[in-house]
Amino acid sequence: MLSKAAAVVSVSAYLFNPQPKTPKFQGKLSLQSNPLTHSNSLTHTWGNNYSSNILKMDNGSSSAFVTRASANPLQNADELIDSVETFIFDCDGVIWKGDSLIDGVPETLDMLRAKGKRLVFVTNNSTKSRKQYGKKFETLGLSVNEEEIFASSFAAAAYLTSINFPKDKKVYVIGEEGILKELELAGFQHLGGPDDGGKKIELKPGFYMEHDENVGAVVVGFDRYFNYYKVQYGTLCIRENPGCLFIATNRDAVTHLTDAQEWAGGGSMVGALCGSTQQEPLVVGKPSTFMMDYVSDKFGITKSQICMVGDRLDTDILFGQNGGCKTLLVLSGVTSLSMLENPNNSIQPDFYTGKISDFLSLKAATV
Amino acid sequence: MDDAAAARGEKLSSGNVNHLIDSVDCFLFDCDGVIWKGDTLIDGSKEALDMLRSKGKKLVFVTNNSRRSRSQYAKKFLSLGIPVTQDEIFSSSFAAAMYLKLIDFPPAKKVYVIGEEGILEELKLAGFTGIGGPEDGKKTAEFKANSLFEHDKSVGAVVVGLDQYINYYKLQYGTLCIRENPGCLFIATNRDAVGHMTDLQEWPGAGCMVAAICGATEKEPVVVGKPATFMMDFLLEKFKISTSRMCMVGDRLDTDILFGQNAGCKTLLVFSGVTTPSAFHDPSNHTHPDYYTDKLFDIVSLM
Repeated sequence: MLSKAAAVVSVSAYLFNPQPKTPKFQGKLSLQSNPLTHSNSLTHTWGNNYSSNILKMDNGSSSAFVTRASANPLQNADELIDSVETFIFDCDGVIWKGDSLIDGVPETLDMLRAKGKRLVFVTNNSTKSRKQYGKKFETLGLSVNEEEIFASSFAAAAYLTSINFPKDKKVYVIGEEGILKELELAGFQHLGGPDDGGKKIELKPGFYMEHDENVGAVVVGFDRYFNYYKVQYGTLCIRENPGCLFIATNRDAVTHLTDAQEWAGGGSMVGALCGSTQQEPLVVGKPSTFMMDYVSDKFGITKSQICMVGDRLDTDILFGQNGGCKTLLVLSGVTSLSMLENPNNSIQPDFYTGKISDFLSLKAATV
Repeated sequence: MDDAAAARGEKLSSGNVNHLIDSVDCFLFDCDGVIWKGDTLIDGSKEALDMLRSKGKKLVFVTNNSRRSRSQYAKKFLSLGIPVTQDEIFSSSFAAAMYLKLIDFPPAKKVYVIGEEGILEELKLAGFTGIGGPEDGKKTAEFKANSLFEHDKSVGAVVVGLDQYINYYKLQYGTLCIRENPGCLFIATNRDAVGHMTDLQEWPGAGCMVAAICGATEKEPVVVGKPATFMMDFLLEKFKISTSRMCMVGDRLDTDILFGQNAGCKTLLVFSGVTTPSAFHDPSNHTHPDYYTDKLFDIVSLM
């Protein structure tokens, strides 16, 4: 008696997609096959709007072209370290958990620097600006330069700069301080942000919500002050302002805002806007390679000289693979060994290990 | 009229309106954009309903709007001068409660509601314990080390519908229930992207809240509202009329018209709601009702 629409479709396929896809589009497809697209909606793919450097996937690594065998546990740390020039680290679940440093991190970073390695930190967390992250690193006793940090808040602003987004247009923000600060630094006018968290609407006759027709982009990221006002404002801009861009800092389903548990992530707010606009956003955070391209351009590094270290398969590791660099999964964050080894999981990093301080404890076998 | 035009549906006219009325015993109506917009009656809709009743037609109202219960909708109709009994109304709030009944959802388990009063009331009427709802619109989440966001482990289903009080607390609560309570169901009243919650403009619909939970849980919900046929199955069971003698009247192609077509009903699209003539005639549209017209009252004026 129940229609087929009544069947519950579990879309852990979003993460554990069993069909091998053309690796060149791996990142794009993992976003395209998301469960949010209503079957009869008029979604337009994000390939249509954006400058081609967003979609550029450098496939220098042959590992991206084959359905890989299981990842190898990291044994010869020195060999990996010597084979690359730059380490890109995710933050949550790799460097820290909530506000607590993970064991052995300071010594590991010091060791890598002493060996002359460049360190870059790429996080999907858009709540803080690079400067604010710099302070967080400092508070935790790590010496990290603001210039080495790339948060998705920064990525959104950098993307707008890269497409010459007009300075006389405005950006509506469904997100937190970090995005606002980065937009300001990049010289863009913004509306919305945490202040709109206090705004109320009343669905009653004669109530009309105005929106600024000069908004040329809506940027959506994690937002603890999320509410119906913001969704409507963003929706009106996207649907009614001609050419208005829909940009997502990231689409992480859950995130470790505190070390004790998972919290609904940016994927939730972005999902809400997809649901009301029936459009897909441009994603600037992992696994999109925008930040990888930006970093390699800025520092003049080749992708094969990079090792991406992260705790999340569908953002960090996919990011590294799409970018054509080596990948190391750490089990100190959201991914467990059983999740990695689950037959439904097709994202296999080059290596995996417990935590980054294993770089210090694992030694090459002596001859 | 050429074949291509016929495939796109016939414009309702004095030439075909009588045939339509005579061939149908039961008219199903969407509400938002057909009968009213927000809390304002659309011109002539009362007269159209009166005329159909006077011809002995059965009237049924099928709405995806979960903000009210059936009895609250009956009150709304009455306040607008249209006598309708709650037995003639099938709201997605009611559908959610009936779905839980159908699958023998244990009353000992709770239901977390991201939505408004209508869902809570229907759950209560069906004997279930609903928690959450508008009250949680006032709650905030604390992000402190050593403090846990708690959730009730006895929640066995999360029902998501239109929620103007949506906030992070509810998103987190619903997400934790679905991700951590074994076997917890994820039910959506409907997935409409936008709707005329007020007379003056469109507002985000349940599709927004549902997609927010999909984004955080990476799961798809059971959808009980249009275009899923659940409500149709339910009302066929109740009224025992053949769908070929029914006509679904709606303003939305991807819910109302699809709903009617999926069940084998005739379908009539009106332009008094979310669908404009240009969107309808656009080559990218592949959903074609049997008939289309500006508004419900045309049934009267064209006779």
